[in-house]
Amino acid sequence: MPPPYLTAPTSSDPRPALSLFAQAPSFLSSQTSSWWSSLPYPLSLFLNTESQEKWASYENLFLACLRTGDHETAYACLESLTDRFGKTNDHVLALQGLYQEATAQNTEELEEVMKAYDEVLKDDPTIFSVRKRRAALLRSVGKSAEAIADLTVLVDASPTDAEAWAELADLHLSQGNCEQAFYCLEEVLLVMPHAWNMHARLGEVVYMSAQKMDGGDQMKALAESMRRFCRSIELCDGYLRGYYGLRLTTGRLLEVLQGAKKGQLTASDSLAGDLAPPSIGTVKKLNELATSKLAEIVRRGTAGEKGWDGYSEAELKAARELIDSDTQKIQR
Amino acid sequence: MAGPVEQQIHRDPALFYWILLPITVVMILTGILRHYLSTLLQTTPKKQTLLKMREQRHLMRARNMNINHAQVSKASFNRRKEWFADKVKEGTLLADGPEGRGKGKPNPLSDPAMMEGMMGMMKGNVAMMVPQSLIMGWINAFFSGYVIMKLPFPLTPQFKQMLQAGVGTRDLDVRWVSSLSWYFLTLFGLQPVYNFILGSNNAASQVAQQMQTQQQGNPMGGAEDMEKIFKAEVENLEVVEHWYVLDGVEDRLLAKLATGI
Repeated sequence: MPPPYLTAPTSSDPRPALSLFAQAPSFLSSQTSSWWSSLPYPLSLFLNTESQEKWASYENLFLACLRTGDHETAYACLESLTDRFGKTNDHVLALQGLYQEATAQNTEELEEVMKAYDEVLKDDPTIFSVRKRRAALLRSVGKSAEAIADLTVLVDASPTDAEAWAELADLHLSQGNCEQAFYCLEEVLLVMPHAWNMHARLGEVVYMSAQKMDGGDQMKALAESMRRFCRSIELCDGYLRGYYGLRLTTGRLLEVLQGAKKGQLTASDSLAGDLAPPSIGTVKKLNELATSKLAEIVRRGTAGEKGWDGYSEAELKAARELIDSDTQKIQR
Repeated sequence: MAGPVEQQIHRDPALFYWILLPITVVMILTGILRHYLSTLLQTTPKKQTLLKMREQRHLMRARNMNINHAQVSKASFNRRKEWFADKVKEGTLLADGPEGRGKGKPNPLSDPAMMEGMMGMMKGNVAMMVPQSLIMGWINAFFSGYVIMKLPFPLTPQFKQMLQAGVGTRDLDVRWVSSLSWYFLTLFGLQPVYNFILGSNNAASQVAQQMQTQQQGNPMGGAEDMEKIFKAEVENLEVVEHWYVLDGVEDRLLAKLATGI
């Protein structure tokens, strides 16, 4: 297993960041205390320990320190990164902006940071890392509409940027624009066809929009959502969110299918490329499968069995609640 | 005299210390010097402009769409396809905008960016050529005409030219190596040594450098007509036979998990 400061922080869970922060002093001292780092310039070139891992660790430490509020250590990391890569490096520019955002005390200071971003972008509009920071800053101060406009310009200039598309989808969803979010997530899938979390996310978005529909449209949307979750599980069989979504959609779909008239069931429009709605039997089987799998994941995940311990606690809890609510319904 | 008699030549052991070793050391040092010189002379590649980047990435997106079309439904795919075809027709995806169409290839000599690339290559070549010819001259002037070592294995006479350059004896055994030939052997054979000293992607060996320039292709080939490429991509999208990855996924999943458990 690689050392913890090598893996980028993927979740918003604060605990890994905290443990990483605790390791920061020992890591930093291991990087600088060697006797050869004090050699004069040409000799130090021969003996330096230059590697990608080193700088990735610096960056991750920097992020963890910012999250835990240790601005001094974060600044030390940033200094080393700036010394190595120069002030005008794309990545360093974004990290510097991040530091300034984190240390800003009030909105005026945040606006200063924003102005600095604008300056940088005026000089060179191709620095995408700073453009992304700008959009993120807009979002964090609550100007979602402006952030959306910013990101829309960005994805027009760089339509193969999956990260930007995903963020745009998230923003649109927070504004309640399911249609646009759907489009953005489809773009992400066109760039990364095997991202199972994106398949599941797309399923969630479709499920959300299905809540507002009724009749045949709702059934179609639910079927599509269910199939997205199926695809997600097909790509990663152990994905809790996928099973959760499958359980939800199949439950709803069963209600809708049983309530629907015979005529609606076969009405599939092959011209528009829609898929025929699934049969009740299949949906039932999928529902049972999702329930049993969820129960297994919850059981083994909470027990912390080997190979089952990567699940986030909040998700496990939500899954348990879902199962419990079902059993109550059956008991009644 | 004729016959398979082993030729014996008495060599001064000083030949080893004063010729073989110096040539080898000098060659290694030149390689290292060359590596650092070319690192110094390297020009950072010029940044693309935003519009050029946009053009490239829209092309990439169309290609992605072609490959991964199964991920989206037919309606979504058609919508994207039509959008792309429209934009190509309008020409708004091109870096020069709709006005830049039909200009054809720009002359590579008048393009300053092209010239810069060629200058970079010239610098690299000069860094290769100058030390090489200098050292060859040095060896020719000081060490020509010596036989400095004997290979421990027999060779066919075809190697005579290669191994005994600068020694004009006809019936000397091929196993004897002259100093000039030793230079050539080290010139081509030191790559592993450089790899060991400088890391694997070094610029010390000129052989590797030459291969690289060949792979880069002709710098005069220059820019292509982007509009044609875009049109070809639209046609590629037109002929895509669409299938949907969600088609029958529930049955696939059930079958897979039924056998898996």
